[in-house]
Amino acid sequence: MKESLEKSVYPGFSAKWKAEHGQEVRFTSSFAGSETVTNQILQGVGADIAILSIERDVDRLKQGGFVTADWQALPHQGIVNKTPFVILVRKGNPKGIRDFPDLAKPGVQLIHPDPVSSGGAQWSVLAIYGSELVKSEKQTGEPDQAHALQTLRAVWRNVISTPGSAREARTQFETGFGDALVTYELEGLLMKQAGTALEIVIPRATIFSEHPAVVIDRSVSAAKRPVVDAFMQYLWSDEAQRGFVEYHFRSITDESLNSAHKEFGQIEMPFTIDYFGGWSKAYAEIIEGIFRDQVQRRK
Amino acid sequence: MSSIITPLRHVRGFDVVRPLSIWTLILMMMPLVLLPLASVFIFGTSKGLHSFWVALKAPEAIFALELSMVTSFWATAFNVLFGLFAAYVLSRYNFWGRNALIVTISLPTAIPTAVAGFALLLLWGPYGTLGRLLAPHGIQMMFTAGAIVLANIFVTFPLAFGVIKPVLDTMSRSLEEASATIGATRWQTFWHVTLPSLRGAIVSGALLTFARAVGEFGSTILVSGNLAGRTQTAPLYIFAKFNEGQIEAANAIAIVLALFSFLIFSVLFFARDWLDVE
Repeated sequence: MKESLEKSVYPGFSAKWKAEHGQEVRFTSSFAGSETVTNQILQGVGADIAILSIERDVDRLKQGGFVTADWQALPHQGIVNKTPFVILVRKGNPKGIRDFPDLAKPGVQLIHPDPVSSGGAQWSVLAIYGSELVKSEKQTGEPDQAHALQTLRAVWRNVISTPGSAREARTQFETGFGDALVTYELEGLLMKQAGTALEIVIPRATIFSEHPAVVIDRSVSAAKRPVVDAFMQYLWSDEAQRGFVEYHFRSITDESLNSAHKEFGQIEMPFTIDYFGGWSKAYAEIIEGIFRDQVQRRK
Repeated sequence: MSSIITPLRHVRGFDVVRPLSIWTLILMMMPLVLLPLASVFIFGTSKGLHSFWVALKAPEAIFALELSMVTSFWATAFNVLFGLFAAYVLSRYNFWGRNALIVTISLPTAIPTAVAGFALLLLWGPYGTLGRLLAPHGIQMMFTAGAIVLANIFVTFPLAFGVIKPVLDTMSRSLEEASATIGATRWQTFWHVTLPSLRGAIVSGALLTFARAVGEFGSTILVSGNLAGRTQTAPLYIFAKFNEGQIEAANAIAIVLALFSFLIFSVLFFARDWLDVE
């Protein structure tokens, strides 16, 4: 997020505001994991705006009384950009991985962060499980839960390591461990840019991680309100959305920006967390009910 | 020194220093060792023995304990045999570079265990010095039980050696020489004369190695893969459950490990006469 904001969105908005109002806008920002940022705000760091990676953190800010307005009243329910979950494989795709079920093939070694401690790993479980549901639903009209569970179990048998975070999983993959890693497309593109020899496999059906932006109503002074609101609106402008796409996020407003961008593959059947009925439901039913109780637990 | 202490020692026939020093010792140990250990037991039994038992019977918990025992057993078997061999060579033969070897064997005690872990990853990993040659043959040591054994071997490397070598150094040579004079081969002398007198050192070296290996965390978390029910040892299980917020589950295994080391060190202490360890 840092690159896209600092190199494109901030300068773009500053120039626009200066042209319209003749004032300089200076941004002070801090980048950390979504949960850490949320905790900092809850502890009183006076931020005006937060861009988070998971809706659950917005809910926490709401419960704490920091977000009072209806944040989903903003365009696209408050979501500014998104990135899908994809499979990273070694250059040349030696194991012939084309979709999530291929991860279950004998001899494939998968690095998968621990869903207990890593938010990215929870997304990945939802991507694999949901992908099978969506595909079976498309085929027969009914989501086949038994088949999805079976696939998730079979994929999990090929996991050779469960590091504590998505970042640690990336390090293991970069130092040569495993044939495949399920992660954000954004992460894969950044790894490629950093010189890791890998290919990005786009599954037929996969989940989008969507990133909400919220105004921390409690910290915004009346004097600052107009500029904060203008910035929020700017996030959904073509200019800002182009900036996100340039730095590997997918646009939420304009699919043509995404299809015009060469590094993004086409996703046949994309879905979002809404498919599971939101985060809290997905967490209880899929991460705890399916993954923890029926996949991970030894019988 | 004693001339200063002596006049203070007795106040009207009562030895002040004795109870004072004993209580000072216990008071110092309280916050440092005794209370932390006691808290584990108090917390673990605060919800009754039943919940402790349930936490202990979880299949992943039992698996983690078994895995720790098995991997530590193999690491101990290797390090005792190696330690015996190394101690014999370095005690009986004097050669150029001997001290350098002794220092190298002792090195793992001073190396952070996390460093031991990633050193193993750098050697055996798919891009590693050795792993690169093995990877094309489908051999992948890391993230297996084998990797846990290798990590345990590394971090406990000097322990058995360190107990056995001093005993060999001080052992009287006259018996070995007598044995040689009456026509025994070197092997017979070692088997019938040297080895029996090392019995105590071998047992205590093995217990020390085993106790240390069972508790190993830093290197294991890096090389094992930390998969619950497959490559998660008991200390990794404790860490994982703590992160999950399941403190009772973490604590139940912590109690088992604490009792276990208490048992091992009690054996070492009370059986020391039989073991001939000074």
